[in-house]
Amino acid sequence: MNHGQQSGEAKHEDDAALTEFLASLMDYTPTIPDDLVEHYLAKSGFQCPDVRLIRLVAVATQKFVADVASDALQHCKARPAPVVKDKKQQKDKRLVLTMEDLSKALREYGVNVKHPEYFADSPSTGMEPATRDE
Amino acid sequence: MSLSERTHDGETKDPPPSSYEFTHAAAKSAVAQICEPVGYNHFKDPPLESLTGFAIQYILQLGKIATSFANLNGRSQCNVFDIVLALEDLSGNDNNAEERGCSALRSVKLREIIDFVKVSDDGEEESLLLQTLPRFPVSDKRKKMMVVPSFVEVGEIPPGKHIPLWLPAFPDPHTYKETPMWIERGLDPRGDKIEQARQRRKAERALLSLQRKLVCRGDGDRVWGDMDVGGVKGEIREAESEMPEDEKRDGVSVVEAFAPALEAARDVVFSEDDAEWKQKKKKKPVGLSKLRTEKKFLGEPLDLTLQMKGEDRSMSLREEDRDDKRRRAEFILRQCMENPVDLNQL
Repeated sequence: MNHGQQSGEAKHEDDAALTEFLASLMDYTPTIPDDLVEHYLAKSGFQCPDVRLIRLVAVATQKFVADVASDALQHCKARPAPVVKDKKQQKDKRLVLTMEDLSKALREYGVNVKHPEYFADSPSTGMEPATRDE
Repeated sequence: MSLSERTHDGETKDPPPSSYEFTHAAAKSAVAQICEPVGYNHFKDPPLESLTGFAIQYILQLGKIATSFANLNGRSQCNVFDIVLALEDLSGNDNNAEERGCSALRSVKLREIIDFVKVSDDGEEESLLLQTLPRFPVSDKRKKMMVVPSFVEVGEIPPGKHIPLWLPAFPDPHTYKETPMWIERGLDPRGDKIEQARQRRKAERALLSLQRKLVCRGDGDRVWGDMDVGGVKGEIREAESEMPEDEKRDGVSVVEAFAPALEAARDVVFSEDDAEWKQKKKKKPVGLSKLRTEKKFLGEPLDLTLQMKGEDRSMSLREEDRDDKRRRAEFILRQCMENPVDLNQL
């Protein structure tokens, strides 16, 4: 009984928090516009007239992209700085989103976007002569 | 569904405007804007394109999984719990497998999102998409002209109840059969009426002036051009009063001959401007008042209202009119003298 009551109260709290969160979503406008999100959701069959849910999806996507970008940034910063020492350019490292950083970040999400490091003429280019003969 | 559709003529039509490029570009700019507060200043194009693709796929997957959860529960419309479940599903964490409570707020992902919103809301200002999205699809004017509008758009009622309103309208009859042509002059019934009345008035004026001239001729000392303000009115009144007394003139009872015409003229004018004519009947004949509209006589000229609406004559024109009238009066008089029989027909 007690446990039931407690869970009931917690449930009420959770519901209240949820409604509050959904209300707060209306104040915070996500970067991805609502129309765009609505278009993609409609493409996948998602049907909902409520704007708050669309904003929820937009916010979720924004968080996802931000997480990936921050992971890539970590990789970018972790890379040792270029050896060339200039008087003007000391620790200023241009933070550019590269494919390398992105692939490392996305690997944690289970996505493989590795770029080939070079383009070879044939599949056996660069292999040892012994294996090539085989 | 082929990309390039063929009409029944065999001509290839352009494929319908696909929204892929537009939405992809919009998503790309949104993603770049999201990455900016993270710390990135520059982007290379290939990773940005890839990240955009992933973001789009994320949205699509979220929608798909949320829809499937809703359908599993026998609903067609999704709600917040479907989305939360989809989020959990996409994250691939199995930490919640046992601890999943009865409320959606227990989900880790949702908490993370809530925290994310709080952080971004409190920390920085909202980074809305800087560019406003234009309305898509952008209408191609050229193509739009070729599209036949529906009955509703044209505002026509389709002939036949079996034809719904949203179908394209029928072509105009002049495109497929010969319809009578007429010169579009622009109907102006009021203007036409005014013009008619003016012409009628002109004729009456001519008659009246002719008659007056005959009267004046008899007096001898009065000249046509002798018009001063005060005297004219008196003259006219005298002339009019003398009318019935004068019987013999030039051997023919001109006044009597002109009497029916005068009556007829009066009747016609009566029917047009009843009130005004009754007021100003004794005061001013039409012709004189027209000549001196800039000066205020006793009482307004008869048809000044209509004149003000329709006509805008200068003094020179009035002078010409006077000469015209004189010539016409003489001509009519000559004709009357020659054909005494036709007098009643005037």
